[in-house]
Amino acid sequence: MVKLILSTGNIVSGGPSIIRKPGAYRSNLELTNSLRSNFLAAQQDYAEEIPESNGSGLSDDSTDFLRDGSEPALAPVSAWTEQEGDVIYVPRIDWSTAGLQEEPSQYDITVKLFFLPTAPISDRAQYAKEALDLVLKELQVPEVGLLIVSFPGMSFEGDCEWEADRVNASQGNDEDEIATWLAIEDLHRRGLVKNLGIAEFGTEKLARFLKKVQIRPTANQINIKNCCNVPPPLIKLAKDQGIELLVHTDTTDILSHGTLRGLLGPGLQGAGVLADPEDDTSEGLKGDLTPQWVVKYTAVVRDRGVIENKGYFASAGLTTN
Amino acid sequence: MLWGDEVEYLVVTYSKDDPRVLLSLRQADILKALANDESLSIDGGCVPDLQHVGNPHAKKQLPVFHPEFGRFMLEATPGKPWGIDFKELLNVEPDMKLRRCIAKDHMLQNEYPITLTTFPRLGSPGVFTDPYYPVSGPKLRSQFVPDEIANPHIRFPTLAANIRSRRGRKVQVNVPVFRDEKTPWPWKDPTVNYDMHQWPEDDDVRNGAAPDNFIHMDAMAFGMGSCCLQITFQAKNITEGRQMYDQLSPLGPVMLALTAATPIYKGFLADTDVRWNQISKAVDDRTPEELGEKPLKNDRWRIPKSRYASNSTYISTDPRLRPEYLDPNLVIDQEIKQQLLDGGMDDRLATHFAHLFIRDPIVIFNEDLQELDLSKTDHFENIQSTNWQHMRFKPPPADNSIGWRVEFRPMEIQITDFENAAFAVFIVLITRAILSFGLNFYIPIVKVDENMETAHARDAVLDRKFWFRRNPFPVRPSRAVQGSRPASGASTPNGGVSRPPTPPTPTGPVEDEYRLMSVNEVINGTAYARSSSTTTVGDGDEDEEEFPGLIPLVESYLDSVNVDVVTRCELATYLDLIRKRASGELWTTAKWIRHFVATHPKYERDSVVTEEITKDLVGAVIIIGGDDASQQGVEDNGIKDENSNKKRKGDGGHSVLEGVPDLGRLLGRFIRR
Repeated sequence: MVKLILSTGNIVSGGPSIIRKPGAYRSNLELTNSLRSNFLAAQQDYAEEIPESNGSGLSDDSTDFLRDGSEPALAPVSAWTEQEGDVIYVPRIDWSTAGLQEEPSQYDITVKLFFLPTAPISDRAQYAKEALDLVLKELQVPEVGLLIVSFPGMSFEGDCEWEADRVNASQGNDEDEIATWLAIEDLHRRGLVKNLGIAEFGTEKLARFLKKVQIRPTANQINIKNCCNVPPPLIKLAKDQGIELLVHTDTTDILSHGTLRGLLGPGLQGAGVLADPEDDTSEGLKGDLTPQWVVKYTAVVRDRGVIENKGYFASAGLTTN
Repeated sequence: MLWGDEVEYLVVTYSKDDPRVLLSLRQADILKALANDESLSIDGGCVPDLQHVGNPHAKKQLPVFHPEFGRFMLEATPGKPWGIDFKELLNVEPDMKLRRCIAKDHMLQNEYPITLTTFPRLGSPGVFTDPYYPVSGPKLRSQFVPDEIANPHIRFPTLAANIRSRRGRKVQVNVPVFRDEKTPWPWKDPTVNYDMHQWPEDDDVRNGAAPDNFIHMDAMAFGMGSCCLQITFQAKNITEGRQMYDQLSPLGPVMLALTAATPIYKGFLADTDVRWNQISKAVDDRTPEELGEKPLKNDRWRIPKSRYASNSTYISTDPRLRPEYLDPNLVIDQEIKQQLLDGGMDDRLATHFAHLFIRDPIVIFNEDLQELDLSKTDHFENIQSTNWQHMRFKPPPADNSIGWRVEFRPMEIQITDFENAAFAVFIVLITRAILSFGLNFYIPIVKVDENMETAHARDAVLDRKFWFRRNPFPVRPSRAVQGSRPASGASTPNGGVSRPPTPPTPTGPVEDEYRLMSVNEVINGTAYARSSSTTTVGDGDEDEEEFPGLIPLVESYLDSVNVDVVTRCELATYLDLIRKRASGELWTTAKWIRHFVATHPKYERDSVVTEEITKDLVGAVIIIGGDDASQQGVEDNGIKDENSNKKRKGDGGHSVLEGVPDLGRLLGRFIRR
């Protein structure tokens, strides 16, 4: 099986994809827009240095139709992606520019790991390690301050937050979440993560969770339309247990199979990494694509409140038939 | 990063038995009472001008009070600077409330600190100060205000006298009068006395100083007696300070229009909404030669602006600062610039300081001229602090204790501490978004000047458009720019871990980089402005690219940092107030005051704001702005709402708010805070 590692690069300096749209309370637009713009940027950047006659790659011709004068030339997939063993980096990553400007101690580094419903639960320990390793490498730090884990199938939604809290109690899968948490606790024990957090846990679910875990979360991210209406039982529980309730605007199931295919596929909105399944002659990778995990990382210079680096990695498995 | 806010107050006397509301001139006594209060100083509160220091070991750091130009003014600042921790941002409003409360506690029972930019009847005929003093004193030589209106400390009357003397006549502060249904037209300011012969300057009005259709004022107090809300930020280093100075500069006029609060001067409705130009004229010490009225003979330059005016140049080392943004006609002192260049300062910063130094010092103390003490920066500060531009770039003090700072000065003070905290916190968050996202708001500096004029128009917030940059985002750094292929393994020219520098903006015509936008569009973004528009100017033509909006930028910043639920909720109320002021859903203070006057039963539709209207207006302002403690006092003094028999809301003094007309249009759902 081949693994695809998608990355956005640093999106705080990357222009409008980080800006929230009016009325969009929670969405995956930041992820999808910044992936798309980073793919396009890589296609343009790597084209600039490749003489057009000299191009050679597996889907060289697939971008030819875009070269119509007004559009900048785009590099072939082979030039802007990179394969290392079983891993394909989309786009290729220049690790020589990785790292932060100040000492690691100057930063609040928060990492949010999204486990996706499409991937096997048994692989989550491995996923967590892969994701965190990439973040540590990108930021060139020995540890992160807070790792927030987002489990699939959870939400905290509804016009009435009381109702949301009630519905939340039966969402997700307690057993799987506890099992996954063991692996997350291990990252903490190994000194890679200072504090742990969770997302979208309502009152009941949080109470059950706290009874079963050894290392307790210090933060619970919730998404509520009107953040002045947090259900009082949740506020009380969080306060009693010393858990900070943080606000977020992410969707839980942040990268679906269809979205991923759209991003990487051959269409106009796609990066042309995947072959067209309807067309046997088309170039590109073939096979079944499975979104595995997404990780978001943010490094904020603590005393200045300045976000220096923010970005995403996403991972997908590709099985050829 | 540390930052601080400054709130200025007018002190008024108000009681139900007195038909007039007056300016209290007891500033010195109030400051003395504050300084002598031991319980305050134990907790760090102090009046630095009267005491050596506050108590630096105090557990709490109580607010600090300062004198201001007007003898009817007070200034208060937090006891220690704020940090950037988001929870700390929530302490600003309670601290502002505490300041008001402490100030009130050290006043007479019938005295109140209020946050109106100007006193509506300052300079009106008759009595407007307590105690009363006759006009036409030797220092100000004003027809309208007594010398005693100014802080008696020698610096202040001297400042006023020297401005007058350098200028060769009194200052002329003329504001267009608002023409209402029954306003006589052409309008001649009925308070101007053409028959005074006490001072040579009394000729000014006979020589045309008071044109038709303008409210005429003739003293520094009409400008420097205005209250405003100023925010000072500490920068990481000089480079960041210069960047913040430049990037906040284009926001100045927009924030001025959005905080508009000054529709009345000397007892008349003005046709402008903000204080800015009046202060500018009130301290304009330019000679006739500098003004261009006479050929240059004794003076060195013609100077297009007063020493109180919008910024005249940019100072950043940012490669995105195109030479086209600078003013080719900027007046500078070439000799001083050369001296600075010779000393190693770069061209841009040397230009900035050489521009500030085209001004003469206004006040110098004799003892400072005896010996040049290079361990102090007093002579520099003397020029710097009398260049009142809408931003101020502040080098570290001689002891280098606080680093490089930038002050944001255009905003008008608001009636309530909630509003003042909202605007202060908003500007703080904007600076964080600017630095995080590398935002670029550059437009030619002369367009910022133009915007500053635009901001004066009545209801400019809804009716006018401002030049603003279309695309505030940085250009994506290209991998190719690094000059090496990542795959090749060659070392990058930057070496180490630093990110590639932001390349300069590609150079198209500068005129294509900006367009006219409403305040709604600048603050809320094109998409929101299109859907919410209550404005008359129209928002975002279909073919215009979308501007993201300052509030969405701030929200995107907040989305990317860890903020707890309670804090985010509080910050959301601040952003909501600003959003609605920009969209017109809520009124600016200026609009609310105009409406108060227009609907007052005694208003004659002739632009005249009488003593009675002023008393009711200030009474309402005391109620709205007052904390619970002073509201109790207000009730004791007879300010009661007509509906006070209605059931009380259970939270004490708040029920008096029901008597204030149209408060919902000013504060919306935030009234019951």
